[in-house]
Amino acid sequence: MATVELKHISKVFSNAEKKANKNIPAEATHAVSDFNLKIADKEFVVLVGPSGCGKSTTLRMIAGLEEITDGELYIDDVQVNDMEPKDRDIAMVFQNYALYPHMTVFDNIAFPLKLRKTPKEEIKKRVEEVAQILDITEYLKRKPKKLSGGQRQRVAIGRAIVREPKVLLMDEPLSNLDAKLRNQMRAEIIALRDKINTTFVYVTHDQTEAMTLGDRIVIMKDGFIQQVASPQDAFDHPANIFVAGFIGAPAMNFFPAKLERVGDEYYVQVEKLRVKLADEKCAKLAAKNVASQDITLGVRPSHIRVDQGGDELQGTIEVSEMMGTEVHLHVKHNDNVVVIIVPVAGSYEKYSKYLKHDQKVGFSFDGEACHVFDAEGKNLEA
Amino acid sequence: MKNNKLKRNAMPYLYIAPTVILMAGLLITPIVQVIRYSFYDNAFVKKNPLPVGWLNYQKVLTDPVFWQSVRETIFFVIVSIVGHIVMALIFAHLLNTTMFKQRTKTVARIIYILPWIFTATVISVMWKLFFQPAGVMNYLLGFVGLATKNTEWFSNKDIALYVVTYINLWSGYPFYMISVLAGLQGISPDLYESAAIDGATSFKSFRFITLPQLKPILLSLVMLDFVWTLKTFAIVWTLTAGGPMHATEIISLYIYRTAFMENHFSLASAAAVFLLIVCGIVAVFYTRQQFKIQED
Repeated sequence: MATVELKHISKVFSNAEKKANKNIPAEATHAVSDFNLKIADKEFVVLVGPSGCGKSTTLRMIAGLEEITDGELYIDDVQVNDMEPKDRDIAMVFQNYALYPHMTVFDNIAFPLKLRKTPKEEIKKRVEEVAQILDITEYLKRKPKKLSGGQRQRVAIGRAIVREPKVLLMDEPLSNLDAKLRNQMRAEIIALRDKINTTFVYVTHDQTEAMTLGDRIVIMKDGFIQQVASPQDAFDHPANIFVAGFIGAPAMNFFPAKLERVGDEYYVQVEKLRVKLADEKCAKLAAKNVASQDITLGVRPSHIRVDQGGDELQGTIEVSEMMGTEVHLHVKHNDNVVVIIVPVAGSYEKYSKYLKHDQKVGFSFDGEACHVFDAEGKNLEA
Repeated sequence: MKNNKLKRNAMPYLYIAPTVILMAGLLITPIVQVIRYSFYDNAFVKKNPLPVGWLNYQKVLTDPVFWQSVRETIFFVIVSIVGHIVMALIFAHLLNTTMFKQRTKTVARIIYILPWIFTATVISVMWKLFFQPAGVMNYLLGFVGLATKNTEWFSNKDIALYVVTYINLWSGYPFYMISVLAGLQGISPDLYESAAIDGATSFKSFRFITLPQLKPILLSLVMLDFVWTLKTFAIVWTLTAGGPMHATEIISLYIYRTAFMENHFSLASAAAVFLLIVCGIVAVFYTRQQFKIQED
């Protein structure tokens, strides 16, 4: 149980560090810049972003595996910048498990307790408890090499939670697993969270993991925080084009458009299609006194309708992906490909005429679905 | 059909036949011969040596010089093995640390490996010059008053064995260092990071991660070193020829002197059989260890 606070944290890799650690990409110098975040007790925070965005470096700084170049790090209001990892009372699950190959599963899980000179009976009791939670009791006598990827990951989690750390750090723990196992383990991590009372900091490049696991997600790019928000909030109100494109799958579609202000009402115009923004959005823009301007318009694939009106946008279907309950259409529109999700559950025939390759389609959207970004990519509503 | 199957079954044996024949001719035959000589009187010297049963073994086992040689060999071997492994661990860690820059480490690596590229005779000449009464060692120790110009390092029977062992340590460690270094570089850095978070100090990381991870390599090195040191001949022979007063006459030198200087080939053969048995036992352990590594 603990709070974690990062104040103006930055990380600049020296040339020596880059040479010593092959995992640091050559171009990464300013890995993390001015990172500010306060993580509440028992909160589950996910750092998410593309590779090289600084999320793992941030996690490793919290762990004490990476020196903090600038800024202050507090765990439970105690500054820990210069504290050894072992004294921070944190635990970490590594991407490639980092299990001790010469020890049995039991000894792996018992290792942190053994180092803390916990009495033998107590170690046995706690390892068995953890093994039961993670359903690995029958493997306790095996060596890691004799386990599957999923079982190894459980052991790694077991080793991390056995001494009930203040903060549990997870560095892409599921990325070495196959898709099916990843989904299963993701659900288990959610269940695990209810069983152990601790603060989680989780790193992933997978936005689905971030959305499903986090109370809050921190979206990063090039060492900078782009947005800190609840998953729903990041999805509904992305702070900028990067977040809008990164969160949500398939990704948001973008159109060059014009924003037009008429009194307190706002319209977006893409080619001949003119859409009035929802009242709530208009109110927000008016409150900020946003003027008419050229914008980038973002619309999620699920918010676009295949339409046969008058002024809708026109395109040609390039690819049609049948997903079961919906079809993902990749529609060539000018030089862009627009992805449209068409729900077809139980009524495929109704839509089948739209869904053929090379078919011309019209499409449009409503004012609620529009996200407006200025020339710098910032969300004008935010 | 049947002929083809026979051909196919015989093929692998044909492939290994040249090696087997060479091994039999160059290795097994001499070994069998030595064992045979050890049961004859004056083999090699007389035209028709007589079988004498275990007499040669009896003579060797009652020879005080043999037992002196055995004691010296045990000292020489154990100190060499322990020394080699300890030096290898220390130097390999120094070469593997992130404290030094890459260029420094490359230069250090070259310097550390130097002893390995010299032949036994070059090493002997060099150290003989170094340790001769008017040599560098006495000159240096003279500064701190620990030795005089007359200290005889190789002619003093109380210290000659120590000096010879030291030179053997110096000349042999690079191989072990390189092997340990390769082992260290094979240990995933994640394990150390994980251990650091789990609560391990540097010493405990070494104790619980490094040593167990190096264990297979270290065991192999200990067994190889045992056999190689037991067979050491050239360097000791060229340094002291076993003297003074048999003080550095390790078992290989004892066998050589008995056979080629005193022409007691049968006695030498009996002593050689002892050496063969000890080396054989270690070789069996070594092979089993290698199988175990493969299984793991």
